[in-house]
Amino acid sequence: MDEERRQRLVKLGSAVAFLAIAAVLVAVVISQSQSEGGDASDVKDVALVSNQLRGIPQKGMVLGDPDARVALVEFGDLQCPACKGYAEGIIPEVIAGPVRRGEAKLDFRNYVILGSESTDAGAGAIAAGEQGRGWNFVELFYRNQGFENSGYVTDDFLTAIARGAGVPDIAQWNADRRSKAVLREVNRTTSQASSLGFTGTPSFAVQGSDGALEPIGTPGSASEIESALSQAG
Amino acid sequence: MKLPTEGTLRRIAVFAAAFGIGVATYIAIATAGGDAPACIAGEGGCEKVTDSSHSELLGIDVAVIGVIGYVLLLVAALLRGDGARMAGFGFALFGFGFSVYLTYLELFRIDAVCQWCVASAVSMTVLFAVNTMRMLWYVGRPDG
Repeated sequence: MDEERRQRLVKLGSAVAFLAIAAVLVAVVISQSQSEGGDASDVKDVALVSNQLRGIPQKGMVLGDPDARVALVEFGDLQCPACKGYAEGIIPEVIAGPVRRGEAKLDFRNYVILGSESTDAGAGAIAAGEQGRGWNFVELFYRNQGFENSGYVTDDFLTAIARGAGVPDIAQWNADRRSKAVLREVNRTTSQASSLGFTGTPSFAVQGSDGALEPIGTPGSASEIESALSQAG
Repeated sequence: MKLPTEGTLRRIAVFAAAFGIGVATYIAIATAGGDAPACIAGEGGCEKVTDSSHSELLGIDVAVIGVIGYVLLLVAALLRGDGARMAGFGFALFGFGFSVYLTYLELFRIDAVCQWCVASAVSMTVLFAVNTMRMLWYVGRPDG
């Protein structure tokens, strides 16, 4: 009798095993389905980014009034999904608020941690910045980001982002993004982020009129960022 | 060969689950602040892994899912009876399967290894082994 009961329980255990394996498969499918984007033939949100940044001055990788007393510096990796989330959820409020009002400027600096494709992407952003479209490139890249290091950051993809960002001279942009000076700049800001003690992306610092960078980590909301900017200003 | 007693298996499971809770909680707290866990061997592996798009599932930090899983395994290890044996086996099999998938991602997709994730994977492997033994050898038998 006990052995019969045990056999029944072992069968029940087999059903539990089946359910657990099915649950793992569901989790894997959900995890894999999160990896969309990175399609050179279908660049999304071109108009959205264009409208978001329209009328705001850009110079290099700095967005906003060059005379603003305080700057918010983002150390980001263009392949980083958390940075994409930030670019879509929090940065738009900062741009629409203190940056558009001329109270603060926004400075994107590459902090390459995910791999060589991040370096290529970051170089593309800096080269777009040479033509006054750096922030359009950054914002559009984030919105079309693919799965990191999957090979999606190709010349075709970067060119599609540059065109969508409105870079006027693609030939010049291609020459710039492959230059040693641009690569040095990507490496310089990556080293700078490390020296500030950052260990993940995106990480932020505020820069007041004295020019010193004050790390503020990764604030959880636009209001926290505005508060940090007010204190620095 | 003498089988380990169920009490021994449960004690090992309690220890491994408590260890897993500690590791997963540390990863969850470190990443919630936007940082990466301190990588003891350096080389930035933990930054790369925690910044990966696979560090979340349906918007929930995988480390938080880990904490929940280890707590369930701890409860199953502390309880007696066939229900606890079955539940412990089911949770451990899911945790082990998902852990194998995450290790595959680290090695072949993200191309980086985070020591904290390895520690969690080892802990989950131990839990899978002891819960499987508990299930196969002691289900339907008096509590040990």
